[in-house]
Amino acid sequence: MEEAMTSSQGGESDMDYSDNECYDEYYNIHDDSDIEQIDPRKIDPEYFEFRCLLEEEVDRLLNETVEALSSILHISPSLAKVLLYSHQWNVNEITKKFRENPTSVLVSSRIEPATTPSSLLLTRYIICPVCVTPQPLDKFYGLSCTHMFCKDCWTMHFEVQINQGISTGIACMARDCVVLAPEDFVLKHLQRPNMREKYQQFCFQDYVKSHPELRFCPGPNCSIVVHSCEMKAKRATCTQCKTAFCFRCGCDYHAPTDCQVIKKWLTKCADDSETANYISAHTKDCPKCHICIEKNGGCNHMQCYNCKHDFCWMCLGDWKSHGSEYYECSRYRENPNIAHESVHAQAREALKKYLHYYERWENHSKSLKLEEQTLTNLKARINQKVMSGLGTWIDWQYLFTAANLLAKCRYTLQYTYPYAYYMDAGPRKELFEYQQAQLEAEIENLSWKIERAETTDRGELENQMDIAEKRRTTLLKDFLDV
Amino acid sequence: MANIAAQRIKREFKEVIKSEEVAKCAIKVELLNDSYTELKGEIAGPPDTPYEGGNFILEIKVPETYPFNPPKVRFITKIWHPNISSVTGAICLDILKDQWAAAMTLRTVLLSLQALLSAAEPDDPQDAVVGDSIKKILKCPHANSDCDDKIKRLVDMGVEDHQARVALSSYNWDLERATEQLFS
Repeated sequence: MEEAMTSSQGGESDMDYSDNECYDEYYNIHDDSDIEQIDPRKIDPEYFEFRCLLEEEVDRLLNETVEALSSILHISPSLAKVLLYSHQWNVNEITKKFRENPTSVLVSSRIEPATTPSSLLLTRYIICPVCVTPQPLDKFYGLSCTHMFCKDCWTMHFEVQINQGISTGIACMARDCVVLAPEDFVLKHLQRPNMREKYQQFCFQDYVKSHPELRFCPGPNCSIVVHSCEMKAKRATCTQCKTAFCFRCGCDYHAPTDCQVIKKWLTKCADDSETANYISAHTKDCPKCHICIEKNGGCNHMQCYNCKHDFCWMCLGDWKSHGSEYYECSRYRENPNIAHESVHAQAREALKKYLHYYERWENHSKSLKLEEQTLTNLKARINQKVMSGLGTWIDWQYLFTAANLLAKCRYTLQYTYPYAYYMDAGPRKELFEYQQAQLEAEIENLSWKIERAETTDRGELENQMDIAEKRRTTLLKDFLDV
Repeated sequence: MANIAAQRIKREFKEVIKSEEVAKCAIKVELLNDSYTELKGEIAGPPDTPYEGGNFILEIKVPETYPFNPPKVRFITKIWHPNISSVTGAICLDILKDQWAAAMTLRTVLLSLQALLSAAEPDDPQDAVVGDSIKKILKCPHANSDCDDKIKRLVDMGVEDHQARVALSSYNWDLERATEQLFS
């Protein structure tokens, strides 16, 4: 059992350091030794290499890129930054384009104007078109577009823009001129230290957001930036605030569903959930004795307290038919005659289909929360046992490992529903729903066993953990496409 | 008020007064106070448009950070135009928002507004109702005289011109339903 656990967590073990895993590694040192030789990329479909960087480290990383480009193209670091920002920090692409046609790169990156600027009036005093005061020529500055404005006006312009949150996008003050002010030009005109600081802070944020290999940790008040060379929709976990998120979109991790689909799904849920909430009430009647039942635990295997009937919470069918190989309940059988039915029936069918998936999505999300509760109860129960001399604290640690694994599996299961909802009918969907059903069945078994941990044999529980995790990785291996 | 802003407005005020458009009575500005923070603008409806012959009064508020931020402009005169709110007079024009440049002036703003009157953009409306009706009218070339007829009939019944327009446009130019609403 531990083999499967450690191999799948190989990529995370360094960030997800909970106490139980320390013990795990201590006890299973021999199991680990032969695993390390296998490339984790091949065994674990969720394996993701990334680093959590502090602001200074990100600065260093960005500056290295800037210096590299400025030395290749012989341009100032400030201009290199504008180029990099507009080309998503792709040095090779910029170099290639620049070698082919330097002018077009500079124009499209808004460093140079598209039309050649008119020649300047070289009198000693000129009138600044912004503040309309005549001033000596040496007080005037301009960008490559040669639109000249006085020093004070530039300062005012930059301060106003920065106060509105604009930094890398500050343009020239002339009408219809799109040339951007590079960093050195802006800083030259900013004297107040707090403005300079604000400007640099905003620039830094813009740079990180435009860099495909970097992403701000979405955790509240967290300043960590995650760096990875793989620009994929994989799970990154912040070492500081422990927030886990999808590296590509920054939202909650959502394998096996991809970023666009989960976004579509979440918007849909936000729009439709009122109806869905209304239709799927929080209570159900026992299929046998019709007593009203509220679900208060994570498991879908229900036992009516009144008539002791075992049934499935999802389909209200007899639980006995769920235990074996077919777990029909998670499968939505599409009506084959839909094409012949009226528009009204089609709309109803669409709502029915959506509700089917939404109900299961919601249900697993609720189960996840309820199982957190179970975990706290578990802690209390273990405490009691240790106090009354039934084994030591260490003896009961496996229950926590089991609860963590359960949460991980259920999380993946929850995110398989949006995936299935947007899948086209066909053999691939059938295979997916088959695997999903298998995973669901094993998760419910695991949940049932954890909730009744004292009466379940430890070996049996660990066996169940192994099966559930294997089902999860198999599904991800076949369908996680990042 | 910041020094630059007042200085600029003084200067621009002179620029407008001296401009050739004023000579043609196309644009006009008036100061409303001594601190140059509020002005009254006026533009003439451009020729060959439904606005021809009309004079449109504008409220111009000059922010402290002018000319680094655009002036706040809205129509005081009620106007039926897809990019201008028929209720508040708010204007949807890029140079009054993110496309503003410090080198632009009151004169350029007034001229741009005049240009907006002659080139409406019903696909990016400020007033959705007006945007929709304009699109319908554009589709049907005889609609204009048809609308005029309907307004005239309501006016003949003793309804004010503006009220007639409001009622008709909110009922999709259905004369019967508009009449019903007006006399109910």
